[in-house]
Amino acid sequence: MIHLEDVWRTYRMGDEELHALREVTEEIRDGEHVAIMGPSGSGKSTLLNIIGCLDRPTRGRYRLDGREVASLDPDELAEVRLHRIGFIFQSFHLVPRLSALDNVELPLIFAGMPPAERRKRGEEALDAVGLMPWAGHRPSELSGGQKQRVAIARATIMGPGLLLADEPTGNLDSRSGHQVLEMLSQLNANGKTLLVVTHDPSVARRADRVVVLRDGQIVRRVEGRSVSDLATLFAEDVPAP
Amino acid sequence: MKTVDILRFAATALVQHRRRTLLSLIGVVIGVVAVVSLTALGEGARRYVTDQFASLGSSLLIVMPGKNETTGGFPGVMGAPNDLTLEDVKAVQRHIPQVLRAVPIALSTADVAHLERGRQVMVIGTTPDFRRVRDLRMLAGRFLPAGDWERGAPVVVIGRKVARELFGQANAVGEPIRVGGWRMRVLGVLAGQGTQMGLNMDEVVLVPVATGLRMANRTSLSRAILEVHSVADMEAVKRRVIDVVIERHDEEDVTVITQEAVLSSLSSILQVLTLVVAGIAAISLTVAGIGIMNVMLVSVSERTSEVGLLKALGATRRQILLIFLLEAVLLSTAGGAIGLALGWAVVELGTALYPAVPASPPAWAVGAVIGVSFGTGTLFGVLPAWRAARLDPVSALQGR
Ligand SMILES: Nc1ncnc2c1ncn2[C@@H]1O[C@H](COP(=O)(O)OP(=O)(O)OP(=O)(O)O)[C@@H](O)[C@H]1O
Ligand SMILES: [Mg+2]
Repeated sequence: MIHLEDVWRTYRMGDEELHALREVTEEIRDGEHVAIMGPSGSGKSTLLNIIGCLDRPTRGRYRLDGREVASLDPDELAEVRLHRIGFIFQSFHLVPRLSALDNVELPLIFAGMPPAERRKRGEEALDAVGLMPWAGHRPSELSGGQKQRVAIARATIMGPGLLLADEPTGNLDSRSGHQVLEMLSQLNANGKTLLVVTHDPSVARRADRVVVLRDGQIVRRVEGRSVSDLATLFAEDVPAP
Repeated sequence: MKTVDILRFAATALVQHRRRTLLSLIGVVIGVVAVVSLTALGEGARRYVTDQFASLGSSLLIVMPGKNETTGGFPGVMGAPNDLTLEDVKAVQRHIPQVLRAVPIALSTADVAHLERGRQVMVIGTTPDFRRVRDLRMLAGRFLPAGDWERGAPVVVIGRKVARELFGQANAVGEPIRVGGWRMRVLGVLAGQGTQMGLNMDEVVLVPVATGLRMANRTSLSRAILEVHSVADMEAVKRRVIDVVIERHDEEDVTVITQEAVLSSLSSILQVLTLVVAGIAAISLTVAGIGIMNVMLVSVSERTSEVGLLKALGATRRQILLIFLLEAVLLSTAGGAIGLALGWAVVELGTALYPAVPASPPAWAVGAVIGVSFGTGTLFGVLPAWRAARLDPVSALQGR
């Protein structure tokens, strides 16, 4: 369960204050599939980073599963990221010198799992995204879609309840993008909470609901299946409900 | 997270940047080779010199005129010493039964000449027992004759090199030579002895002690060597010698030193030399350490987004610190190991070429090298690793 209450994220640029997020109040229940949309610079990534415990609100409260995130120390935050949250990035973020399997196993290393068990779990996870034949390949030898599937295997290997994807299909062609989205939907269907930042209406349509940001504020909430085109979605004259 | 896993992870980063890894490795290797081979050389010099002295036996006492206040230094250097006479030496031998031999020595320098050829040499005025305490061998002829110490016969025993320079291949024994202004007859030629106690015995001439004193125009001996029956008596004999001298001179105006004391002060001087050399070599290790730090700083800034990723995946600060620290330690210890092997090879080669110098790195130097190269990596790896651990995950992920 994600609880955001009057969350602000303010950057200080010299004398200027820049509000990347302002007055964000939102509740996301377990198992929900939510898309976050908005023009470039509207604060989508900032919001996702705060939810993912990579960043902290300047003001306001954020509770994850009932725990006040502001009260956690760096080690506890790392623990939350390790066990509760899986990240998927637009640019994949695989470690280039490690094989696909070694990349998938990284979180298990941080969890202190012994090598034999790690290998077994890593292979299962890689198999689940259909990439076992590529286990020994370096990221540079994989296609974009394959890289993102490795990243999904890595994000899910610790069995987190929450998946955060920042434009997961932004660097993919439509076919492999579709494959990745299918995988994410499947994970959501199996009970994981899924938050996807996207510019793509067809991605947003898969979500239960869509949150639209503009200038750091939530300006609109709509159902996923009602999303048609960006122009109507981002239109300024409609007040936030 | 297991340390082995971090090590493996760190190793992959080093392997990926082969050229950079190699360059910083070379820095450490050079430093370590310098430490190993230079300290080996210093240690070799120390052992060479002390071996030379030790070969002379440890049952010798040296009596020098003059009393020096600070113990441990070389006496006879400061102050105007009182006489140490032949009578004094005789008295010592007479009164102290543990003294097996007492050998007076009068040192001076003089020109020696035969026909057209000549050179300057050290003249040692002494007695036949000198041959025993110094373990001298003869190439030809006889050593100095036994008899009354006061009788200064015009005879001389010459070193091998002196003989060669004055007589070439010709026979020297029985020939007349001039020593200083004195006409003398050559009694014998010493076999090659090399350097003993700072004197190259190949380049000296030996005359009866009375002759030596007269040539130097002095009444005081330069020193006397006492051979003592047993090493256990050394300290007792040393005290008795002083007592005898005080009785005769009414004051303690001689210094008695043991072979051991000379040896240990020489040895400690040479040890300081080794330390100085080690210090210089350690500087090169420090330079190598700074090299490692630079490499690690570059590595951290290049891998900023990787650090961000690791944080997003749930790595703690401690784990990230360890990743980069172990990378640096791996680098420096690998350099240390390679340097040690290479340094050892250099020393082996050196001793093969110059077997006279028993060069070998002292154990402390080898231990220090291992410790220091490990420590260098830790010390100079901490700052970059700390930087990595402190990175803000959001900016790091964006590569900032
Ligand atoms: N470290 C920072 N320092 C200053 N300003 C920042 C920083 N990070 C983000 N911002 C600003 O905060 C605002 C929101 O940024 P954010 O990255 O969340 O936007 P976004 O909606 O994800 O945009 P995009 O669609 O381009 O990814 C932007 O105006 C951005 O310039
Ligand atoms: Mg963004």
